[in-house]
Amino acid sequence: MVGNSGEMVSVRGIYKRYKDLPVLLNLSFDIPKGSIFGYIGPNGSGKTTTIKIMTGLIRDFQGEVSIEGRSIRNWNAELSSTIGYLPQQTSLQEWRTVDQALNTFGRLSGLQGSEVEKRIKEVTEELGITEYRQRKVNKLSGGTLQKVGMAQAMLHRPKLMVLDEPVAGLDPESRVLFKNLFRQLSRDGTTIFFSSHILSDIEDIADTIGILGHGRMRYIGSMEELRERVGRSTEVRLETVEPMPNDSLLMSIQGVSKVERVADNRFHIILQEHREMDAVVDRTIKAVLAAGLHIRGIHPNRQSLESLYLSYTDGEGKA
Amino acid sequence: MSLWLLFKDELNGFYRSKVMLALWVGLPAMALLLYFLVDDIEGMPITVFTGLLISSIGGLLTSVLIVVNILNEKGKKVYDLFLIRPIRRENLLLAKFGAVFLCVMVASLIAITLAAILDSANEGYNVQDILTSMKDSLLITLSIMAINCSAGVLIGVFAPNMLVGILLVLFGANQLSSLVLLPMITGWGEMWMAGLASLVISVALLFGAALVFRRKEI
Repeated sequence: MVGNSGEMVSVRGIYKRYKDLPVLLNLSFDIPKGSIFGYIGPNGSGKTTTIKIMTGLIRDFQGEVSIEGRSIRNWNAELSSTIGYLPQQTSLQEWRTVDQALNTFGRLSGLQGSEVEKRIKEVTEELGITEYRQRKVNKLSGGTLQKVGMAQAMLHRPKLMVLDEPVAGLDPESRVLFKNLFRQLSRDGTTIFFSSHILSDIEDIADTIGILGHGRMRYIGSMEELRERVGRSTEVRLETVEPMPNDSLLMSIQGVSKVERVADNRFHIILQEHREMDAVVDRTIKAVLAAGLHIRGIHPNRQSLESLYLSYTDGEGKA
Repeated sequence: MSLWLLFKDELNGFYRSKVMLALWVGLPAMALLLYFLVDDIEGMPITVFTGLLISSIGGLLTSVLIVVNILNEKGKKVYDLFLIRPIRRENLLLAKFGAVFLCVMVASLIAITLAAILDSANEGYNVQDILTSMKDSLLITLSIMAINCSAGVLIGVFAPNMLVGILLVLFGANQLSSLVLLPMITGWGEMWMAGLASLVISVALLFGAALVFRRKEI
């Protein structure tokens, strides 16, 4: 048995290849109970494969996945009722109305009698699709269909929701709706695992983030820690009004390890330690002004979340 | 429980599909056309001839219907949302087979009953003859339809694309289903043997489909 009582999902040493193409290479991570886990990686990096393994849709893999301590190799009714799944593209049989689809999925998930109707009413209201209940699914827009997909995933109140790119293709209003819904579900104790290749989607709501690159988990940790890493800048950008004849003035400043001249009046000052950022900026201003020059601009060159992400994925998803 | 639910669900989808509507109307219409357009079918009752005709055309149509349906649903990943729920994988296929077979069974029954009524309007057939030919026609028709439906399920599960699926139906399922006509054509066996042969072949095909579906990553 893998995992402990604090983990909803435990993934250990997953290997998966499609014919000669390796997709996941020794992938391991845990998802704490009640967390919102954002799973990010470039297109084709293996996010959907991971999700399909977690939901039992792919059975041919090496490694171990357990949900609440139960191995998914022993897939059973109890295990499947723990999970709510939203695929990347919600596909339903076209002859169904929204109500018919939700009714079938609700009953198959174990809801009975009037409970099905009650839950359909609740979730369709929550997702703002009540007016579409009698409409055939092939007459729905992509966004509305995605909401129907979300409705079927949360219908049976699963403890774990596994969502594959849930906000891709949604309009801004619906994105906000989904994100608020995730927060609400998380507050109610539901563990949410969702994938995306758009960093800002993850940044907004995830409390834990996993970055997948080349089939491996390249970073896993809290969003705060990632933000802190972003904040650890070791470079200051300086622009003066007048040209500076040489770099010796800047090199003489305590805490500076290197100076790169971009133009006569523009410099990249590399620090010895990211912790000295504030002190070095202060000393630079004083030194430049003391030399009779004027400053047009000075600011730390912070690494963006995007560039940090690209550094973890080795630019895998960069066009 | 899930099989019954899935069966009702599939039935709900199939009985009003365009292909099924064509069969609902088309099969009885064939009996009527035979009555009005064909003067002489070499003494054969319209009931028997209708049975043979609808089993051939209807059988082909239903197997194509099932193959196209399964391949479409596989391609669109429709099954994912079912398979993550507590159901047996093979129930999805059995429900589909059951729903289509029930629909074509009813359509065939209507067509053959209509043909029997038309036969009764003709002179030279007594009630006993008509009932016998109606029973034989139904047996042959349903036997052929059952093989076509189950072959359609199997082909739908393993065919990689629509073209291969349709070709396999045309050159596989249709030929296979004609096996049940052998006792009637050669005269070496009883009519019930056609039913038994159909049952055995259909069960084998569905079993094969279930095995493939269990193991396959859809």
